Amino acid sequence: MKKKTISLVLAAMMSIGMLAGCGSSSSADSSAAQSTEAAESATQAETTAATDASGNVTLRFAWWGGDERNEATQAVIDQYEEAHPGVTIEAEPGSNDGYHDKLATQLASGTAPDIVQIDPETMPTFVDAGDYFVDLNTTSIDMSTFDADYIAQRVNGNFDGKQLGLPTGIAGPAFLVDTTKAEQFGIDLTKEGITWEDWIDYAKKVQEQDPETYLFCANKEYITNLFVYPLAKQYGGPIFDEDGKLVTTEETLTKVFTYVKELYDSKAVAPASYQASYVGDDIQADANWIAGKYVVAPCYISTMDVMVAANPNDEYTAGALPVMADAKDDGFASNTPQLLSITNSCKNPEVAADFLNYFFNDEKAQETLGATRSVPPTEQARKICEEDGKISQVVTDATTNAMALNGTPNDKISSSSEAKAILFDTVEAIGYGQMSPEEAAATVIDEFSALQK
Amino acid sequence: MAGAKAAVKKQHYSKRDYKGLLYLLPWLVGFAVLQLYPFITSFIYSFNDYTVGGTLNFVGLANYKELFTHDREFWNSLKVTILFALYTVPGKVILALLVAIFLNRNIRGINLIRTLYYIPSLFGGSVAIALLWRLMFMDNGVFNTMMTKLGLPNVSFLGDTKLALPTICMLEIWQFGSSMVMLLAALKNVPKELYEAADIDGGGKFAKFWHITIPQISPILFFTLLNQTIQEIQNFTSPYTITGGGPLKATNVLGIMLYKQGFSYFKMGYASAISWIEFVIILVFTLVLFGSSKFWVHYADE
Repeated sequence: MKKKTISLVLAAMMSIGMLAGCGSSSSADSSAAQSTEAAESATQAETTAATDASGNVTLRFAWWGGDERNEATQAVIDQYEEAHPGVTIEAEPGSNDGYHDKLATQLASGTAPDIVQIDPETMPTFVDAGDYFVDLNTTSIDMSTFDADYIAQRVNGNFDGKQLGLPTGIAGPAFLVDTTKAEQFGIDLTKEGITWEDWIDYAKKVQEQDPETYLFCANKEYITNLFVYPLAKQYGGPIFDEDGKLVTTEETLTKVFTYVKELYDSKAVAPASYQASYVGDDIQADANWIAGKYVVAPCYISTMDVMVAANPNDEYTAGALPVMADAKDDGFASNTPQLLSITNSCKNPEVAADFLNYFFNDEKAQETLGATRSVPPTEQARKICEEDGKISQVVTDATTNAMALNGTPNDKISSSSEAKAILFDTVEAIGYGQMSPEEAAATVIDEFSALQK
Repeated sequence: MAGAKAAVKKQHYSKRDYKGLLYLLPWLVGFAVLQLYPFITSFIYSFNDYTVGGTLNFVGLANYKELFTHDREFWNSLKVTILFALYTVPGKVILALLVAIFLNRNIRGINLIRTLYYIPSLFGGSVAIALLWRLMFMDNGVFNTMMTKLGLPNVSFLGDTKLALPTICMLEIWQFGSSMVMLLAALKNVPKELYEAADIDGGGKFAKFWHITIPQISPILFFTLLNQTIQEIQNFTSPYTITGGGPLKATNVLGIMLYKQGFSYFKMGYASAISWIEFVIILVFTLVLFGSSKFWVHYADE
């Protein structure tokens, strides 16, 4: 009898465990949860999206981000709702994880939120897949506050003249200069018209004075992203063309890799074997950067503050970006980290546009949003952030430097993780002296040929 | 057995007989969904050109052909994976055996010492411990700082293509605890009479170890070897977090290659082909071990 009781209890416990297991797995399993969510929001959209009898409008706004961004965005929504009685904006903040998979399903089924944040690298896939977004040129949003060249770029939302999204900010390459060190070694990294050769000369100068200090704090990933791509574009224009055909030449790449070899040979960068301990984005953890044994950190506008924080005792400034005299392209490109778009399934595009106009152009909104979506895209917002101390001087300077150049962003194929891995491996092989620049160029051309469409 | 016989006699099963299945259900569902389904689908994928979110395009053996003939990384990764297992498995098992023998005695505080030796294994394949390993062995890491203080030259453990793999293997060998616990239990089960008999016959320490201990614990030794071989051929976490497969692919085990193809480049078909090759390697190693067991594994009940 007792045994029976025990087994009953156990069975009950197990079935509860199973139920609990199912429950948690379905909420963890993104696709399942998302599809139900999507379905729910679809019914919601049906019932509330359109203007109801009393003239009330409900909009849905989806984005991904951390706490700071979520709070700032929610605050702007509250401000707007207060100023516009009758308009309700339902916030749908999420994490970047799986965000675009969910959005893809919603777009395809016509249940997407009215206003959506989109990654500019994913945007072309959505634009190719269907007519999902409202051309913002046809709406009431005042776009004169944006830099015209900047928003005209495809990566910043302009697809064949249609403004299908607006950039939320500016991100781009930056060379963070430790001025304390630069002055000590007597080199000027901010001089106008700086050249790639200047950098090699400076590297030698630094090494002569202190063999333990290197000019650049970089690993193979950063050498690829901040030297190889800009050089390749300056020497020979895009690597793949818009149709996905490989257009760069072996000759161009040989020149690029010769420069990479020079970086290693002149000890502008630490030896490849040293770099091996710092994989990927890990350069701010480099003990030698923290110890002040580098002069320049090649990085991004968004990571400059992190690099400064890693070694806060020195003074910093934004370094100049070299462009060779007969460059085919400026090489260094700045673009937005996210786009904001209005979807075609939106029943009240005018209201959504009015909200976006408030979001981008109202001073109070700009002040509230600060730099939570990186350096703001409009000059007025940047000024406000600077005055508030929300963006540092180095970041402003780096943004000005990056905006002054009009480099084409990396094409879709050469910036794919597969193409990048090929370049990382090649740079590493040059660093270890396993490949000559000529061999490296031949290998990359060979491997890239297989990637072209 | 009796129940089964009875069932056969009756030629039909009562409701009560199916109850067992109900109890097994959680496991059966888990097995079907998490193991059997991926097992079958990955086999199908491996014959298709399949990218995540795309459609299946049957390509026959093209993925395998590409791996064996064109892929620059494959042969190197295969070599690295097998070397990894060859360094790690014997190292781990021998160290586990030595420590188990050392701990197989009755001295004060032996339980505490046993626990201490087991601690590294609790960390398992954790990322944190792999990161710690990197911090210890990098060029300006703890180890090199100590060596410099002692006036020894700096060694690039993770930057040297020859040293990187052994350095990572050391992390695996260090986590010998679970094998050690099993071997310790086996050692404790060796009948004392055998040693007493050997003492009477005047057998030396080495003879006792070789002719009594080893045969007596050989089933557990066999199990440990098998288990570790399977585990180490599949290893991914330590090389991925410590060196990311570098330098110059010196630690690029098949697991990393599979991960990159599948989850960075989204070529699931290709990644599935790699996983099936890994599976075949494990199968071969397992069969060889089983084949050899006839000659050295001793079962008391035979």
